[in-house]
Formats: sequence, C-alpha cells, structure tokens
Amino acid sequence: MKRYPRAAALVLTITLLLSTLAGCGASDGKTHLTFQIWDVAQRESMEAICAAYTEKNPDVVIEVQVTSWNEYWTKLEAAAESNTMPDIFWMHTNQILYYSDFGMLADMTDLYDDVEPNYYQNHFSEISIGNACGSNGRMYGVPKDKDNIVMVYNKELFDAAGVGYPDEDWTWDDLTDASQKIYDATGKYGFMAYNEDHLGYWDFVYQAGGYILTEDKTKAGYTDPATARAIKFYVEMQQEDWCPDQTYFAETQPGIAFFSEACAMYLEGNWELMNKATRYDNMEGKWDIAPLPKCPDPAKGDGRATMSNGLCYSTAARGKNLEAVKDVLKFFGTEEAQRIASSYGAAISAYIGTEQPYYDAFDKAGYDLDFQVIEDQFEYSVQLVNNAARPKWKPLVVTELNKAYNGQSDIDTVLQNMQKIVDDATAANLANADYYK
Amino acid sequence: MNNKLSAAARREQNWGYLMVAPTIIGLVVLNIWPFIQTIYTSFCEHLGFGHYKFNGIQNYLDVFSRPEFWRSTWNTIYFCILTVPVGLFLSLMVAMLLNAKIKGKGFFRTVFFLPMVCAPAAVAMVWKWIFNGEYGILNQLLGVHVNWVTDSKVVMIACAVVAIWSNIGYDAVLLLAGLQNIGKSYYEAADIDGASKVTQFFNITLPMVSPTLFVVMIMRLMSSVKVYDLLFMMVEETNPAVTSVQSLMYLFYRESFTAGSRGTGSAIVIWTVLLIGLITVVQFVGQKKWVNYDV
Repeated sequence: MKRYPRAAALVLTITLLLSTLAGCGASDGKTHLTFQIWDVAQRESMEAICAAYTEKNPDVVIEVQVTSWNEYWTKLEAAAESNTMPDIFWMHTNQILYYSDFGMLADMTDLYDDVEPNYYQNHFSEISIGNACGSNGRMYGVPKDKDNIVMVYNKELFDAAGVGYPDEDWTWDDLTDASQKIYDATGKYGFMAYNEDHLGYWDFVYQAGGYILTEDKTKAGYTDPATARAIKFYVEMQQEDWCPDQTYFAETQPGIAFFSEACAMYLEGNWELMNKATRYDNMEGKWDIAPLPKCPDPAKGDGRATMSNGLCYSTAARGKNLEAVKDVLKFFGTEEAQRIASSYGAAISAYIGTEQPYYDAFDKAGYDLDFQVIEDQFEYSVQLVNNAARPKWKPLVVTELNKAYNGQSDIDTVLQNMQKIVDDATAANLANADYYK
Repeated sequence: MNNKLSAAARREQNWGYLMVAPTIIGLVVLNIWPFIQTIYTSFCEHLGFGHYKFNGIQNYLDVFSRPEFWRSTWNTIYFCILTVPVGLFLSLMVAMLLNAKIKGKGFFRTVFFLPMVCAPAAVAMVWKWIFNGEYGILNQLLGVHVNWVTDSKVVMIACAVVAIWSNIGYDAVLLLAGLQNIGKSYYEAADIDGASKVTQFFNITLPMVSPTLFVVMIMRLMSSVKVYDLLFMMVEETNPAVTSVQSLMYLFYRESFTAGSRGTGSAIVIWTVLLIGLITVVQFVGQKKWVNYDV
C-alpha cells in the first residue's frame, strides 16, 4: 500500500511526458496549424470558418487559440523574435506597420492573382485595404472585418426628460443640451466623456475638421486650431454636472455605467454590441444606437466623422507552413468565409456585400437595434489613426492627457506636449528606418 | 594549492563540481546571463524585434531628465517606508500571539498564512471593491466618501494596507520559527527575577529574535522596492492617481512592454538594482548595532 502512490506518480509522469511528445509531432500525417486571436467573443465564428476550410481540405487541422488583448502583443512580439509565431493570427492597425516594417509579416499582395486581378480593390473598401497595408503599400494581411463607432443611448432616460432621441442631424450642442436636460430631470449622467482616443476625442477631432496625424503620418496635429478646439470641447465636458470626472471612470467603465442605467449616452464600437446585448438582456428594448453627433461649425468638411478600423488575417514571413497557411488565408478572404464570419454578429466582415448576416444575427437573437446607422456611417468614416511609432507614443499621450483632467497642467500645455511626444517618437522611428531595412 | 591535492582528493573535488553543476548552470543561464544582457541593453536603443543599436549612456540621460522617473523613485521609497516598519511590527505581534498558549493555534496559523496563498491579482481585485468610492464596503462602514484608489493623496496608503495585509502571514511564520528557538529557561529566570512581560520582550525576545528579524527585514525591503503586480492591478494607467503610485517596476513595465523601449526599461532596472544594493549595504552596516548573534 505504501508503494502505491509512488507507482501512481511514476505512471502519471510517464503519461505527461508522452503527451508532451505527442503534442510536438503530429502523428496523424495531417498539417496542424495554429490560429491565434484575442477576442473570446469571436471564437465561435473563427472556428466556423476553420471548419468550412477543413471540410474541403480534410488533411488540415486548425486550432483556434484565444489570448487576452494585453498578453497577445507581448507574446506575439516575443514569438516574432524567435520565429515561432502562430501560423495564422489577427493583426491590428495599431501594430501592423511596426510588424510589417520589420519584415515580420508575409506579403499577401499577390494572393489572389490567379483568381481575379485587383481582387482586393474589387471586394474591399479603401479603408479595409488601408488597414491591411504596410508603409510600402503592400498587403500584409487579408482584410477580416470593418467597424465604426456609434453612440449608444438609453431611451427611457430620454423619454423621462422629454428629449427627442439622437438622430443624424444632432450636433455637439444637442449633445450637451440633452445631457443637461436629462441630468436635471432624472439626476442621471448624460454623455460619458472620458480619457479615451478611439472611442472618444479622435472622433470629435475629425468631426471638427482637425487631424491627429498629417496625411503622410510624419507629424501630429494636436496644435492645429480645429484639433485643439475639439479636444478642449471633449475634455471640458467633464466640468459639467452631467458628466462624471476621471476619478469616477477609474473605477467604473462607461459601458458598465450605461448598462446599470447610471448614464444616458456613451460611445461604443459596433463590435461590442452583440456582447453587450447578450450580457445585459435585462436592458433589452431600453436602448438603441445613433450616429455620432456632428460638429456644428467644422473648420472643413460637413462635421460628420467616425473612426473606422479593421483587422486582418496575417501570417509570419518566415513561417514553416507558409504555403499551407496561404491557402487557408486565401479562403478566409472569400465571400463564403466572410459571410460565415459575419453571421455570428460579433464583427462585420470586410468583404463588401457580406454585411447583412451580421445584422440578421441580431434579428435572430431578437435584439432590435437601428443598424442603418452603422451602414450609413461607413460613408463618411475615417481610417483609424496610426503610424509605425504609435505603440511608442500612445501610452505617453494617455498619461499626458490625464494631466489636463486632474488639473496638473492646462490644456494648451498638454496639447503642446502631446504634439512633441508624437513628433519625437515618429521622428526617432523614421531615423531608424534605414537601420533595419 | 590545487597541485598539492592527491588524486583521490582531486576526484572528489570533480565530483563536487558535478554535483553543484545543475544549480550553477541554472543560475548562470536563468539569472546571471540575463542580468549581463540587461546591463548591455541599458546602453542600447531597442528598434524592434530584438534589433538593438548601441547608444551609450543616452538611456540614462533620458531617464534621469524625466520628473516622472524621480517621482517613481520617490514613490518606491515611500512605499517601503509605509509598508516595511508597520508590516514588520505587525508580523512580530502576530508571531508572538501564535507562539502563545492558545487553543486552535494551528487554525490561526493557517488563517494568517492564507493571504500568501492567494494570487496577488485576485487580492487586488477584492481590495479594489472594498475601497471602491461609490459602492465600496469600507466607505459604507465608515460612513465617509473617500476615493481610496483614485485620490492621489490617499492611494498609496490604500495600496500599503493591502501590501501589509498580504505579507503579514508569511513574515509571521518566519518570525515564529525564530521565536520558537528561544529557550524557555530565559523567561523562567526572568519570571523568578520579577521582570514584567514588557521588560521580557525588550530584553529577551527582541534580542534573541533579531537575527531572524534582520533576514525578514532584508527580504521585505527587497520585495518592496520591486513592488509591481499589486500596484498595477490596483491602479490602472488611466487612473488620475497613477503618478502617485507609479513605482520603478511599474514604470519599467510601461517602458519595456507597453511602449517597447527596452533600452530605457533596462536602465530603470539597473537603477533599481543599485538602489536595492545601496539599501542592503546600509542595512548590513546598521545591523551591527542591533542584531545579536551570541546565543
């Protein structure tokens, strides 16, 4: 009896060893591919397109792995250095220039040459292609999805305050007026303006005719009058009674505040809608989405803008299974695969004409939201701000803008510092460009 | 010396090297080599994906010219001041209680050790809810409205409370071992002489436990200088109070992994190592005055 635990331990150790060995070499003669993503809400849709591919190619097995957003980039960078990247992975606009400039990603420009010349141009929007492009204009991924930012609002709070629902004619003035009225009538917060770029002041900047980066992406635009004005407007909203201050947001996410009925409006990416609708089904029918309010007197343009981003499917330039992976990616970019991916309601596929299944998914689940908003907003959406130095300047800009919120510096100084941070980081990056090419 | 050894002695010596080899190799591969690399990296600019460009002392100049860096250094020292003395005092008290003749001693020892078993991330999550300004139980109990984790004046104290709470159990167990080594006869003799409990504590317990206390203090100070996970979990980057708690390791993480500047990150690490070295030297000099080694 006394020897039994030892024997058991031995057996366990051997089994463990064997199973690790089995993991290393696939013994079934099939090609095993790994597919790394960061959004657990999209696991099902990704598995579905993999299943569609493996059904046609039974000699390939694709395993979808989910890592959290923050870990994803730390891991991927380490893997890139040691050339052990996953076979297929999602690429984000934040990082694609950094990865592609260093030659880490396989060139996908000619992937569809045998199918249809100008395949990308014919089936994907300019923004989708832009989001999958390197600095040299080559494609470093197959476009996956597209999104834009919408305003989520609480219908009951609007009714209680007797304010009309937001529509496409709404301006910034309507936003502040409605917030004040709702606060006066119900005591709940109006619009949630917090230290956030993509779902926050960037949208306001482009509505006002300003810009965060110049067209050639070499300089920032924080000191441009239109940009400065929009950021001031955005930051100063926290001084109003109807908007909580940054201390509140440090403890409560705007989405959570909204769905616990503590506020009337906030900005959300369309990719979160299905997740929110499912998680907060007690709020069903009480909320809807609206276009972003427009700038009443923009420096240029018509005052409308929303950030549009898109991911793409990429693979390592020096991957071991490059040929097999390219075939999979080729399939991921087809109408068939993109339609399947859309139908799960987690993201709108990038392939033009495959949007409907996304909206249908909400219908099927019984959620009634005004999706025409998203469709219409694509017409005037702006490509998400990025340049190769963005991973470097982004955290510094967040810290700097915080100083305007907690009163450490005045907004003009902060804007000048932000300008310097971005310009310096970008210049340093350009100066090094020759070194690694 | 070596050539005077007999063949047998030399063989024995070789066996000795062979025996310690696994540990030494592990130490060199996992600790010493990375440390040398870190020193090298601190003199380089990281361009991306493991490409480095030598740039001399530029990283150090960069880092030293940033007010944020000096603020982080102060935050780290402030954290040590807040946590170490109070933490050690409480640990010693707990250890003495656990050493006393009470019922259910084993149970209490387990309870005090429990925080040590919990993942720091989980501990921080729970404490964040306790401290929450709007819904937190602490404000409810005290009937006040203090933004414990978002007000830059109190946030460090809140973090220190959590740090002390999580470490008491571990330190207490170490001190308990020290206390149990003190012979009963000292106390018996003191009792006969009519010494009070307080006198006994200062004249018997404290001197006798001082070697253990010294070791615990060194370890606690080192880990306090390296504090990162707790602060990172308690105070996110968009928290307006972040500048008041950003420790050196917090800054290092942000530089190295969020911003990808591993050069400056490494410079911060080297600075931290020097700081720890300095503190430890001061302690070793100071210990001669209060640590008692003759039992």
